[in-house]
Amino acid sequence: MFMYGKHILGIRACTWVYFFLLVLSFITYLVGQLGLGGLEVSLLVLFFALMKGHLVGLYFMGLVRVKGFWHWPVSIWLIIPGVLISIAFYLAN
Amino acid sequence: MQYQSQKVAIPYFVGAIVLFVAQILFGLIMGLQYVMGDFLFPEIPFNVARMVHTNALIVWLLMGFMGAAYYLVPEEAETELHSPFLAKLMFWVFFAAAGLTVAGYLLVPYSTLADITGNELLPTMGREFLEQPTITKIGIVVVALAFLYNLGMTILRGRKTAINLVLMIGLVGLAVLFLFSFYNPTNLVLDKFFWWWVVHLWVEGVWELILGSILAFVLIKVTGVDREIIEKWLYIIIAMAFISGIIGTGHHFFWIGTPEYWQWWGSIFSALEPIPFFMMTIFAFSMVKQRRRNHPNRVATLWALGASVMAFLGAGVWGFMHTLSPVNYYTHGSQLTAAHGHMAFYGAYVMIVLTIISYAMPLLRGRTAANSERQQTLEIWSFWLMTIAMTLITLFLTAAGILQVWLQRVLDSPLPFMAAQDQLTVFYWMREFAGVMFLIGLLLYIASFFVGDKEPEASVKTIA
Amino acid sequence: MTATTATIGCSSQSKYPSGDLAIWVFILAELLVFGIFFAVYAFARMNNVELFNEFQQHLDLNAALINTWALITSSYFVVRAVAAIKEGNSQLCVRWLLAAIAMGAVFLVVKSGEYAHHFGQGINLSTNSFYMFYLSLTFFHFMHVIMGMVILAAVAIKAHQGGYSASDNTGVHTGASYWHMVDLVWLILFPLVYVMR
Ligand code: HEM
Ligand code: HEM
Ligand SMILES: [Fe+2]
Repeated sequence: MFMYGKHILGIRACTWVYFFLLVLSFITYLVGQLGLGGLEVSLLVLFFALMKGHLVGLYFMGLVRVKGFWHWPVSIWLIIPGVLISIAFYLAN
Repeated sequence: MQYQSQKVAIPYFVGAIVLFVAQILFGLIMGLQYVMGDFLFPEIPFNVARMVHTNALIVWLLMGFMGAAYYLVPEEAETELHSPFLAKLMFWVFFAAAGLTVAGYLLVPYSTLADITGNELLPTMGREFLEQPTITKIGIVVVALAFLYNLGMTILRGRKTAINLVLMIGLVGLAVLFLFSFYNPTNLVLDKFFWWWVVHLWVEGVWELILGSILAFVLIKVTGVDREIIEKWLYIIIAMAFISGIIGTGHHFFWIGTPEYWQWWGSIFSALEPIPFFMMTIFAFSMVKQRRRNHPNRVATLWALGASVMAFLGAGVWGFMHTLSPVNYYTHGSQLTAAHGHMAFYGAYVMIVLTIISYAMPLLRGRTAANSERQQTLEIWSFWLMTIAMTLITLFLTAAGILQVWLQRVLDSPLPFMAAQDQLTVFYWMREFAGVMFLIGLLLYIASFFVGDKEPEASVKTIA
Repeated sequence: MTATTATIGCSSQSKYPSGDLAIWVFILAELLVFGIFFAVYAFARMNNVELFNEFQQHLDLNAALINTWALITSSYFVVRAVAAIKEGNSQLCVRWLLAAIAMGAVFLVVKSGEYAHHFGQGINLSTNSFYMFYLSLTFFHFMHVIMGMVILAAVAIKAHQGGYSASDNTGVHTGASYWHMVDLVWLILFPLVYVMR
């Protein structure tokens, strides 16, 4: 699979991920500073967070290289609280 | 058995079993009083029987832990015990103190006992599980200090292993937390608050370390699995026990007058307490599955596996059942609590003490690895009788508890306490019968030490 | 398996994540704890939206951004440390680890500043349920940062003594994985508690 090529796994990939994480965090921060709220915005911010978590799991933790059972726990962990939080915010609005 | 001084474990194990019998007899007396209110009145009132039942339990478990430590610490440290004499002396001090205390409970009214023993000077009596006169408590501290000194010196001189380390942390923690039994503030909220530091932080904190290390020790011995793997598990289990169990104390702070955040802290963290117990079950079974050899002492393996399962059921499942504050609001202090208390204590601590006795006693009595076939068969019977009886006790009390909560706390026009109790009689009778079954199991257990002890040892071949 | 400049971990696929499997069991258990905490927060908020929205505004977003960046950066440094040891460069590995620990310290200092501010205003766990959750959640995470720093420090010391090599470095991976978990949790905590409304 092309995803598993060296260039994806290298330091350079991690560096890109790192910058991406910084930017996404900054966007989240801006949303907060501008006082934006409401369901859509909240879910978007949450989505960013889940994506960030996913990247940390795949690249920093190196799970992208792991096949089988251990590939999944972090992703699943992100999804379950993510869904629960979404439901709670949905019901709250 | 590799070191002569391990023999000091024998009196501790024997003393433990003697008190175990007393505990169960008083349990049966109480069980009967539940359905025949004036049974043995006025000789043994319910509250006295209850004290004897619970205190005997605690004391014999402590003796069992001490025996376990005296057995396994020298073996792990690969050196003789620092002072076998001190260990023997302390046993007799401990046993005499326990005997005198029980005699005190039975012979004089509790308030008189408090007067005689000078409770006014340093009032510590009158709280569940900590009813002992202050001098008995001081005696316990002295015994514990001598015990820790003895073990500490042994470990310092010998090999340091993870099992010894974890066991020592558990035992030191046990002793340190017991000091809170001397703190008895007049403010009832504070009193209850710190009372749980002893009771809860024992069974859901430091005792879990003792449980884990004894389990790990026996598993290494009977399975031959690498120490390194077993130690790793041990570390994760105790880390989880502490992460969940320390703040989990909050599940006792819901209704005693503490700030509201305990509702959340207590519910969330205690809800995680089943995790370490679950890990222990997985741990025990996977080690046995990966075993490098078949040990001829198969009943010890059975106890180890049984302990891991019953501890998970009693503590993990039955504990979780009522640990969230909205549930506990209804179930607090009902028969459900007693159901949980019984199975958890039995599954985790009674069974682990019986596990180490089952593993060590044959060796201490001069066998090379295991008891005879006949002894083991008998012990296996006793395992199942006691374990099934305890499961039945738990189930009957659970049924009684659910009905009690319903009648007394949920109904639109709830029944008063005693009227609700009247509806539960049938469950209490069934509990008593299961109790008799438990006693039979216990008697068989004791018989397994004597019946067939002259026969040759079981070997792996005869089992396979 | 050859370690090249461009790869972290082993370049081939594997069945198990890098680091000791035991730490992964532990990480999953920890994630479960935090996951429950997050969900409970969200549902508690559901019953108290106004209160949560009001007091969320009293939090210091700047501090939160600095801390988020600090943890991400720190995680990235740990990635570099792992890459360094994969090449057998212990001293470089140590330097990256120290940098990561320093970023952890930044986090602690900033977070302590926030706490000092709240406590100075007389805010505590009993002030209201928003603060109860905010303080509990962040403090629980705070403790994990400290724990992670201790682990990283232990790894750094061993690396400094030459305890790891290009072929034998499970310990570095183990510490790294735990640290990434601490980061991961914060990445959810930050928007949930500070931003989402
Ligand atoms: C081996 C471990 C354990 C033992 C020996 C044990 C024993 C006990 C005992 C004897 C009591 C009754 C205390 C009293 O009021 O006199 C009790 C209460 C309680 N236990 Fe445990 N327990 C254990 C583990 C757990 C766990 C893991 C949980 C939660 C998951 C739990 C949840 C509770 C709760 C919520 C109560 C209070 C019940 C009430 O409100 O009446 N326990 N436990
Ligand atoms: C190894 C076995 C046993 C253990 C570990 C054990 C443990 C305990 C504990 C921890 C308590 C205090 C419960 C609480 O505070 O909620 C207790 C109380 C009691 N136990 Fe046992 N017990 C055992 C066997 C028995 C047996 C065989 C019987 C009788 C059939 C029995 C009858 C009782 C009764 C009637 C109480 C008093 C409950 C109350 O206060 O309402 N126990 N036991
Ligand atoms: Fe508890």
